[in-house]
Amino acid sequence: MRLCPDDVATRSAGEAFATVVRPGDVVLLTGGLGAGKTTFVKGVARGLGVVERVTSPTFTMVHQHVAHNDRGIATLHHADVYRVESVAEVRDLDLGELVEEAGVVLIEWGELAAAVFGREVLTLSFEFADDEETRVITASGAIDETRARELANWGAS
Amino acid sequence: MALALAIETSCDDTAAAVVDAQLHVHSSVIESSIDQHRAFGGVVPELAGRAHLTTIGPVVRRALVEAGLDPHAPAIDVVAVTSGPGLIGSLLIGLSAAKAYALAWDLPFVGVNHLEGHLFAPLLERPDLQWPIVTLLVSGGHSMIVLQHGPGEHEVLGETIDDAAGEAYDKVARWLGLAYPGGPEIDRLAAGGTPGTLKLPVSMTGEDFDFSFSGLKTAVVRATEKHPEVALADVAASFQAAVSEQLLRKLRRTLVAYPDVRAVALAGGVAANSALRRGVERVAQEFAVAALLPSLSMCTDNAAMIAAAGWYRFAHGGPSDLALSARPSWALAEIS
Repeated sequence: MRLCPDDVATRSAGEAFATVVRPGDVVLLTGGLGAGKTTFVKGVARGLGVVERVTSPTFTMVHQHVAHNDRGIATLHHADVYRVESVAEVRDLDLGELVEEAGVVLIEWGELAAAVFGREVLTLSFEFADDEETRVITASGAIDETRARELANWGAS
Repeated sequence: MALALAIETSCDDTAAAVVDAQLHVHSSVIESSIDQHRAFGGVVPELAGRAHLTTIGPVVRRALVEAGLDPHAPAIDVVAVTSGPGLIGSLLIGLSAAKAYALAWDLPFVGVNHLEGHLFAPLLERPDLQWPIVTLLVSGGHSMIVLQHGPGEHEVLGETIDDAAGEAYDKVARWLGLAYPGGPEIDRLAAGGTPGTLKLPVSMTGEDFDFSFSGLKTAVVRATEKHPEVALADVAASFQAAVSEQLLRKLRRTLVAYPDVRAVALAGGVAANSALRRGVERVAQEFAVAALLPSLSMCTDNAAMIAAAGWYRFAHGGPSDLALSARPSWALAEIS
């Protein structure tokens, strides 16, 4: 679990997450309007050495960014299924096609996509704390012990 | 008289037009699949793709017939088509159709950037316009300020760093439980509300020309949760005023920074918004420049503007290769 009192902290959480994410990962980002998902992805992109500007992919569904890092991640796929309402439509989008050895896939509004990818994915849920300002990011998913430890460290910082 | 057939299918509208090289519009047909999307609160890519597939043939035929051409053997000189940016499934249908027509009728074809199409829209209605022009291009997928030195010579001065203005409209409308598309609904409601009832931030007050609408969207969510008693019309009016204020501030900043500008233009679907249209007219008066507010059918997606940009690109770069692929995120800045 990671607490982000403002946008800067949400972005830093994303930047730190970039050190934990691995090639081939699919990460679902869940949470309501304005919960900080795109801001978080901006941080991940910065952490992975993406030079170009990261904006909301709601309109075209998927943005691809070239990443420059020594972690074997050459592409950041940033998807958004906000406008999709059924699992069948998610299947039609064929997001699975995006999964590749040298890339990571981050999917906003990923609740529906979970059904397509199965449980072998990481889920980051974004919620507002009681002060209505702080964002709480919680990681979950079927992952091995090493990753669980890495994520626990990510969450503790 | 040289004629272009243009096809546009980048989002939810299937459009075809016949426009001559002097940019006179002989026909412009637009078929929207928006009724299907209304039920979903947004453009569903798969639905849009399927709708284009069933409408593209009839729409092209109608455009040809309305231009007085034989739909089986039209006296066309070039086929122009939007090849990006947009939804990949939707783009592919228009692009494939354009290639098929070009092959069948042995015509050159040219791929056009959808955003450049929007920039050419004012030329269709105001051939006398004077350069340079600053265009505020605002739609569901894009928000940018573009300085145009002449036709096809453009410079993106600033753009959104997160959500597009139209996207913010749609997301806030959905949050408020309004119908899709959100822009017209909020615009309609706002007419009966008082701006400023909800205290909302005007983001991006910095020295650059960029926009940000994500924080505003979040602020509306927060404020309406905190003040459920505020009337919907007042929420709509407050939100609409905050969006316009940000866009107009940056427009003013541009006019201060580029004093040789002769006109300001509005383009994209959000250009149909009444508050924004009034605001742009006001700013144009303040700076004593012309206001180019294209008619509503020219602001929203249409194929006539694609024909206009297509003529320019055809004249300056020749035809595109038939192997041309669709580019879902083709940035305007990559053209010139």
